[in-house]
Amino acid sequence: MKALEIAFKDTLARFRDWKALVGMLAAPLMISALIGLAFGNLSSDEAPIENIRMALVNLDDGELGQAYEDVLTSPDLQSLIALEITEDAEAAKARIESGELRAVLVIPAGFSETVIPDNEGDSGMASVELYTDPAASVSPIIVKSIVERISASINTLLLAGQVSGDAIVPYAPLLGAEMATLGEAIGAELQSERFDFEELTLSLETIATGEDEEPFDPFAFFIPGLAVFFLMFSMFEGSRSILQEERHWTLQRLMSTPTPTWQIILGKMGGTFLTGLLQFIVLVLSSALLFDVNWGNSILGLLIIVVLTVFAASGLGAMLTAFSRNENQASVVGSAVSLVFGALGGSFFPTDGLTGIINIASKLTVNRWAMDGLLALTVERGGLADIQTPAVVLAVIGLVTFGLALMTFQKRFVK
Amino acid sequence: MSQPILQAQDLHKRYEKTHAVQGISFDIQQGEIFSLLGPNGAGKTTTISMLSCLLSPSEGDAIIDGHSVRHDADAVKKIIGVVPQEIALYPDLTARENLIFWGKMYSLGGAHLKQRVEETLDIAGLSDRANEKVESYSGGMKRRINIAVGLLHEPKVLFMDEPTVGIDPQSRRRILDTVLELNQRGLTVLYTTHYMEEAAELSKRIGIVDHGKLIALGTQDELTKLVGENDALHIGISGISEPPGLLARLNALSGAHNAAYEDEMLLLEASHANEQLSDIIGAITSAGGQVKSIKIEEPNLEAVFLHLTGRALRD
Repeated sequence: MKALEIAFKDTLARFRDWKALVGMLAAPLMISALIGLAFGNLSSDEAPIENIRMALVNLDDGELGQAYEDVLTSPDLQSLIALEITEDAEAAKARIESGELRAVLVIPAGFSETVIPDNEGDSGMASVELYTDPAASVSPIIVKSIVERISASINTLLLAGQVSGDAIVPYAPLLGAEMATLGEAIGAELQSERFDFEELTLSLETIATGEDEEPFDPFAFFIPGLAVFFLMFSMFEGSRSILQEERHWTLQRLMSTPTPTWQIILGKMGGTFLTGLLQFIVLVLSSALLFDVNWGNSILGLLIIVVLTVFAASGLGAMLTAFSRNENQASVVGSAVSLVFGALGGSFFPTDGLTGIINIASKLTVNRWAMDGLLALTVERGGLADIQTPAVVLAVIGLVTFGLALMTFQKRFVK
Repeated sequence: MSQPILQAQDLHKRYEKTHAVQGISFDIQQGEIFSLLGPNGAGKTTTISMLSCLLSPSEGDAIIDGHSVRHDADAVKKIIGVVPQEIALYPDLTARENLIFWGKMYSLGGAHLKQRVEETLDIAGLSDRANEKVESYSGGMKRRINIAVGLLHEPKVLFMDEPTVGIDPQSRRRILDTVLELNQRGLTVLYTTHYMEEAAELSKRIGIVDHGKLIALGTQDELTKLVGENDALHIGISGISEPPGLLARLNALSGAHNAAYEDEMLLLEASHANEQLSDIIGAITSAGGQVKSIKIEEPNLEAVFLHLTGRALRD
């Protein structure tokens, strides 16, 4: 079939063009590497997220200081935090600057005495101090989250003095058994019920510290996002090649051969599709090798989403090119659509929080459905059942756009 | 006379605002090199595009080896070779890869394709550089591969649209020799050009095209007889402030006519140029002009074009 010959020829020419290769492969990989560095996941002197180096300076002699210490040294957090206990706060802070530590938590002297109400019910204000490494992006967020949770739990216990220790026990796996014990102790101490607060409910979010949970991997989000973003660019550029062929007269020469016009157009669109497919596959393989990206557990699911994403992106590129008056217009429209789709469709940030019209607009983009499908595999570790909707939507987008492009090109080139 | 291999019958091509081809008709005999001579924009490429089935005629038809370009385009495409004016090749591919690709578009394959690729590379004289990318070739080499592509499937008729545009004299000479050699092997060629010398060298019969019309058709002798025995004078002049006045004065001279002025070049026909030259120079100097150069040509296609259109055959 001559369409296949045209598609293979286009793919060969595209992969021989080093400028095109930079845009298709080098740029997304390099940007991913930079993002990885920003997230502290690549540099050898950056602590891995599952073993954050942290120091605790506990200057408090009371139960609360001990509570922080107990929770931070609890088995649940052992794999996440490599804790050192020290008494020299200044030295510990200096070690952050030298890169030895990612965070230092200082419990001031008299913290428990100030915060826990005395027999008269009087208590004061006191704060713990958390110092983090500004050069690191992820580890400070995690440490801060843990410390805030401990503080929030203590606050709740103090405010809801009548809450019994039993109420805290269910949260032990999250906070550590020591925290639950602490709750029980404080609860018992405050049994006098001098406080008449409404019962408060503890609202805790789960932090992935268990062995079954995967550590946070920025690549699992950004590489699929960038792969889809750069795919859109190369698909639009690839689609424009049919207009370049018209300008260089190779299209007219093709049409002077005994090759049906529909095969020529199909071959051109097929070449763009094949190029995009190879681009995405190379990005998947190279990111897995270079950045240890886990693309999920379903190879078939990944293949389906990749094929349909490329199908939809190349179809859209072909359609926009078919409707464009000339190469310049196709180039401008293609670049604009790539950028807008990238921003709306979740190539740069998660779309979970989108609502209203922005969410509707997001769902009109190829990127959104591609990202929904890819993230279901890479982040959520889903399977075929989890990609059904994105797969169907991408297939429909591809079929409609390819069909429209084929008809429009046919009208345009048969004179 | 045998049945012509190509018959163009009252071909018209209309666009929204232009009538690019206005009723062109001609025949080409098998084994003939037929040239369409005319300036840029005359309608040569549009005519070839209709004969190549790239454009559908607005009116008229062309029959090539018994097949209508209107109704049997697929059959026509199999027996014609097209060498467009543009270098219609893929620069990222080597010459051999280009030829293999285009051969496949003509449904060639296997050993036959391989053989034809080698043969056409040989015709182009580029066998030793066949594995280099076309983008690294000189303009002349690209033109030769451009021609080779048109020969791959051994067409019965080869359409060559200005195949020597923009190349050096040596490459041009080589291409003209190639065309003559192919014709000696029996290939029929329709050749368009705006170079009078090329048409004169290659073709026995020539059609002169201007503004979408075939204004003259015949052998060189037949065409030059249109201007009689007149010589063509090309006189470079300067200092002429009122060319119309000078032209009127020159046309009034006995035996001189069709005087035209363009870009400091005076063109006119004269029955006995050498004898009339002093009168002509006198007319120029009395009009305030200065003669910078003089060239006298015996009747040729340039003179025919000038005679028929009142304009020089130029770009």
